[in-house]
Amino acid sequence: MSLLDLKGITKEYPLGPTTVHALRGLDVSIDKGEIVAIMGPSGSGKSTLMHILGALDVPTEGVAALEGTDLQSLREDELVTLRGRKVGFVFQTFNLIQTLTAQQNVELPMTFLGVRKGDRAERARALLVKVGLAERVKHRPNELSGGERQRVAIARALANDPEILLADEPTGNLDSETGAAILALLKGLCRDEGKTMILITHDPDAAAIADRIVRLRDGRVVEEVRHDH
Amino acid sequence: MITEFFRLASQNVLHRKLRSILAVLGVLIGIMAVVMLISFGLSLRGLMTGQISKVFGVDTFMIVDQDVFSGRGHGGAVKEYALDLETLQGVEGVKSVAAVRQRTAFVQGGANVEGKVQQGFFPVLGLSPELETEFAAFTGDLVFEEGGREIEDTDVEVAVIRRELADRLAVRVGDTVLIAGEKSNEIQAKVIGILAASEEEEEDQGFAMGASASSSDTIYIPYAAMDRLWPEGNDFLVTLARVLPGYDVDDVADRAETVLKAEGSRVSAVTSGDITSVIDEFMTYINIFLAGLAGISLLVGGVGVMNTMFTSVLERTKDIGVMKAVGAKNRHILAIFLIESGLIGLLGGLIGTLLGLGAAGLVCWLINTFANLPQGVAFPFVASPVLIVTTLLGAFALGAVSGLWPARRAARMPVVDALRYE
Repeated sequence: MSLLDLKGITKEYPLGPTTVHALRGLDVSIDKGEIVAIMGPSGSGKSTLMHILGALDVPTEGVAALEGTDLQSLREDELVTLRGRKVGFVFQTFNLIQTLTAQQNVELPMTFLGVRKGDRAERARALLVKVGLAERVKHRPNELSGGERQRVAIARALANDPEILLADEPTGNLDSETGAAILALLKGLCRDEGKTMILITHDPDAAAIADRIVRLRDGRVVEEVRHDH
Repeated sequence: MITEFFRLASQNVLHRKLRSILAVLGVLIGIMAVVMLISFGLSLRGLMTGQISKVFGVDTFMIVDQDVFSGRGHGGAVKEYALDLETLQGVEGVKSVAAVRQRTAFVQGGANVEGKVQQGFFPVLGLSPELETEFAAFTGDLVFEEGGREIEDTDVEVAVIRRELADRLAVRVGDTVLIAGEKSNEIQAKVIGILAASEEEEEDQGFAMGASASSSDTIYIPYAAMDRLWPEGNDFLVTLARVLPGYDVDDVADRAETVLKAEGSRVSAVTSGDITSVIDEFMTYINIFLAGLAGISLLVGGVGVMNTMFTSVLERTKDIGVMKAVGAKNRHILAIFLIESGLIGLLGGLIGTLLGLGAAGLVCWLINTFANLPQGVAFPFVASPVLIVTTLLGAFALGAVSGLWPARRAARMPVVDALRYE
């Protein structure tokens, strides 16, 4: 059984007077431990697919299953809890809470799952050490460089030890050198801890770390390429 | 988890300092007004009940016309009533009584410089000697001119008048005035004391002045003289009674009222508790009025908080999306924003309460220091713990309620839309 299994997915949403057909019958399955890059031009449905893969949204039609659980069968609160436990997000714009320190940002996903304060703090510090920010624990996002912010975001994504890391253009706002370092960090983490990673990206350099590249166009999968490293 | 939410919320408040300060200010002004007005109201009540207990003591009650305290007919104006003083004295538990009777009488004084005899109709107050001996607090300190004295137990045909009346009647201490009662009753009363002319408008020369409708032209005579002039006692203005030790003043007052009413006197017995409850009722109306005013200013403050919170929610849309993406449920988001608006309310409440108490204290101090209050009268500054706690809870609630709508909007925002928001 695949970790993530999407079959016949369509997603429509209203935009003003018209309906946008973001996904038009898409099948994708992702195995545990895989690194999959999802590529495609703007408007190809990448973001919409990411939302469904990340359990942020449910499809209009079709079945999206995470470890065999149909996401559409869950109540909203259950979906939130599932997402909190199973998926860690890394965003292009980092999306750290500006008023919180690095450590507090990393603690946040654990807070919402009700992890005890002492355990939370300990794990957050360990994760920040792991991403190379041992000296930046008490800093706030505006005191950190772009690369450092993305490292905090990666630590936050790992907070609840999720199965899946979902990275949406993680190098999009970074220079190429910093971007390469972030990609290396992500890849290393996946390999060391057996995480599954889904990379949504334009960047061929980013896609190069993937085991498989899925290309989208007009809401459908048009090509799948397997890489052997 | 909740402490974490408090931290998140308070950091948000601190992060947007100017906006938070303005929202806090909106709440603060309302709260300050409430606390100041109510505190001052409590001071006023404290002043009044303090004066009453000073004059009344815990063992004294007063017999007045039954309409005076019911508020019927006379709008609280003093009205004479009939009473048998011996019946009252005989009520179980009554230790001593003192009465004030009032009549208007024809009075003849001396001759003026032109040799013309001065005369006219003037109000006459008959005072029990016990007023001075037993109920001194009622009469206050009387200031006599040189050679004058108070009415004593054994006096009958004597009178005390004011300087103004002494001039009009052309009499001095030691002279006599003729006072005519009903039928052919009359006495030759010797003027034993002249009360010093009142300064300015001050009218605190004794209780009897306050009770009488008149002022400077009243003649004070002993109760015994009054009895001789008008044997029928249907002209009582006020009667005081003190109870024996061990008796409950309210019980004795009730008993006295029942007995007197059975004899046909249209009176009611009033204790300091009765007066205090009348004051309390009055203060309740004032407080309702103040609460109405305060409610308006708090409404304005609440709208300010709501506005701030809507801005805050809009501004942090992306954060809301992120928090939801990493596992925040709708109720978590709701709680964070409610706490944030509650904190704004609480902060406004805290500062407003302190400023309100300070302002009330200042007003009391200013009045006590600069206003021409009678001797021994001062506004007590009252910092009621109940008021403070209620105000703080109310301020937090105000903030939270004002934040409810914005917070619900935040909580219900779809995560995908929130994440996309730039």
